[in-house]
Amino acid sequence: MRPLTLRRLLFQCLVLTAVLFVVVVVALKFGAVPVSLYALGRDLLRFLLGQTSQISTDYGLIIWNIRGPRILLGILVGASLSVAGTSFQALLRNPLADPYVLGVSSGASVGAVLALIATPFLSLSPSLSALLTPLGAFLGAAATIAAVYFLGRRDGQIDSTTLLLGGVITGSFLSAIITFLMGTVTTGNTRGMVFWLMGNLSTSFQKSVYWFLGIGFLAAAGAIYTTASDLNLLLAGEKEAMHLGVDVPRVRLVVYIAASFLTGLAVSVSGSIGYVGLIVPHLMRLIFGSDHRTLLPTAAIGGAIAVVFADTLARTVVAPSELAVGAVTAVVGAPLFIYLLRRRLA
Amino acid sequence: MKEVVTPRLGNALLAAVAALLFCAALSHAQSTSPISSASPAYREVTDETGRTVRVPQPVNRIVSLAPSLTEIVYALGLQDHLVGDTEFCDYPADAQKKTKVGGGINPSLELIANLHPDIVLVTKAFNRLETVQSLENLGISSYATDPHTVEEIISSSKQLSDVLGAPEAGATVAGEMERRLASLQQRIGALPPKRVLFVVWTQPLISVGKHTFIADALRLAGATSIVDSGQDWPQVSLEEVARLQPDLLVFAESHSASASPTVEVLATLPGWNIVEAVKKRRVAVISDAVNRPAPRIVSAIEDLAKQLHPDAFTEKPESNKEKIERDNPRQNDRPTAHSSFSPGNLQARIAISGGCACAR
Repeated sequence: MRPLTLRRLLFQCLVLTAVLFVVVVVALKFGAVPVSLYALGRDLLRFLLGQTSQISTDYGLIIWNIRGPRILLGILVGASLSVAGTSFQALLRNPLADPYVLGVSSGASVGAVLALIATPFLSLSPSLSALLTPLGAFLGAAATIAAVYFLGRRDGQIDSTTLLLGGVITGSFLSAIITFLMGTVTTGNTRGMVFWLMGNLSTSFQKSVYWFLGIGFLAAAGAIYTTASDLNLLLAGEKEAMHLGVDVPRVRLVVYIAASFLTGLAVSVSGSIGYVGLIVPHLMRLIFGSDHRTLLPTAAIGGAIAVVFADTLARTVVAPSELAVGAVTAVVGAPLFIYLLRRRLA
Repeated sequence: MKEVVTPRLGNALLAAVAALLFCAALSHAQSTSPISSASPAYREVTDETGRTVRVPQPVNRIVSLAPSLTEIVYALGLQDHLVGDTEFCDYPADAQKKTKVGGGINPSLELIANLHPDIVLVTKAFNRLETVQSLENLGISSYATDPHTVEEIISSSKQLSDVLGAPEAGATVAGEMERRLASLQQRIGALPPKRVLFVVWTQPLISVGKHTFIADALRLAGATSIVDSGQDWPQVSLEEVARLQPDLLVFAESHSASASPTVEVLATLPGWNIVEAVKKRRVAVISDAVNRPAPRIVSAIEDLAKQLHPDAFTEKPESNKEKIERDNPRQNDRPTAHSSFSPGNLQARIAISGGCACAR
């Protein structure tokens, strides 16, 4: 592993941020309503100069109030899923781990749906009720990853095939639970079943939700980042890491809670978007190496790029209607997953 | 590896600053950006889901997110104010020429916003709550209807006409619907109802529950659904149908180009021949207007009543038959008008909504 320098890390992040910026501009430009690059550039410039009053109202509503929040949601969801995927891969020492593949997203969905069903009966204040969904999603994600972890253990070791199989079966079981809940429960605002089974970013939220997501992401991703060096040592094996002075149980607990929380955050606002947490960390490892101190931040930005790009496709391919972004990520991600699985088993 | 510790902090800070900047930029943009029209006059109304809606006055630009609402807007003569509708809005033919904002379940918010509507019309059954909430976040008013009986379709149309500023047209439309239904009841009200199975979809077999306006429409047409379910779109087992033995099967045209192939297909499926109505091909086919909570449903009710109780319409052939034909001039071109709505579409939408999206 090459020694890490601040310069190299900043350079990598800067390059990726530049790519993200380009993707965001593309996402701002394309959509069901045509917006000229000139008008977009002019409004962006005026915005940066603080002349918000001069922004053309025609595009203003669409760019700032529809596409902008959706892109922000895509950035936060993509970064959360990608960091969660990277964390699960390190935690389970399995490069094929991903919140969706392991059924954790489905677990988060079940938790979120149960929270939404329970909300009308609890008579909480509106702001507390709003927090109940991400809390339910977090608990669902945490319970699922724990279950999958124990399913995947054989003779005290995590068996890769058993783990993946356990995750897939758990995911399909939990999807069936969602289908059952949606078929039987009619009260409350539970959103459409498809939303929870195949994620999308089409819902717009109150401003406070974006703040909550942003701060929640920074807190959880920051917590995981403090263990980055320990995660590197953990790659060698739990016993080996322990001999090297890593407090393995503490690291496992921190990463486990934070990654479940990130999954819960993403799922509670966007449903189950698959394969982002699998493909993006893989790509980043290929490009930048597997040092978690660079992998975690690059995977976060990479995840944002991937989801914003996929959602731009989802919005434009069948315009004026929309696809679920989960369908786009699955179409790209599933074949890649098979490829990685075969290469690993070979 | 421990010698360089700064990147952690530096990077975390960088990410934090970037994310906060974006959040701040967004909230700033959201708070400063003005919202569509500058018209100062508003009127507060309560819609059928109990929401308080601020409706700009007068209503000049309407977007409809359901085919039934599009039909009501046309029936009220407000089509010139309709600036956008959905891909499923196919009646009357002119509605197909309006700007399409996508489907009812996944419309494009930005296309709707770009039309600068004074009000967006939605139905609880056909549209999603998220769409309404997203519109609300954008400062766009939406008005929701939720009729569960034919009576409510009438009152709902009337109320909507008032919201849209055309109460006279609403009274006329409602009066006409009531008059035709009343004259129908005079003919068939005393007759024993036929026991029917309304087929929404055949594979799997989906029918209508007792709390739907379709079940109510069947009652008004002198029929009673054999399916007694509290669910809106229950999946019914063949065994249950065989046990209950309906007198007739009722199909709406949109589910197939013509119903006889459907019933022929059913007859070839294993087991279906134990249903007498299938074996003897006793079916009634009506316009898919029965699927839409709009004024046109009365025509479908009259049509079904005629097919179920033909004797009631032959006693005095002259006056009444003519009257119905006159009241119902578009009956002949209906099959072509609706053939664009393919069964595949419907299947997809049933799958998407996780129930049936037929209540348009």
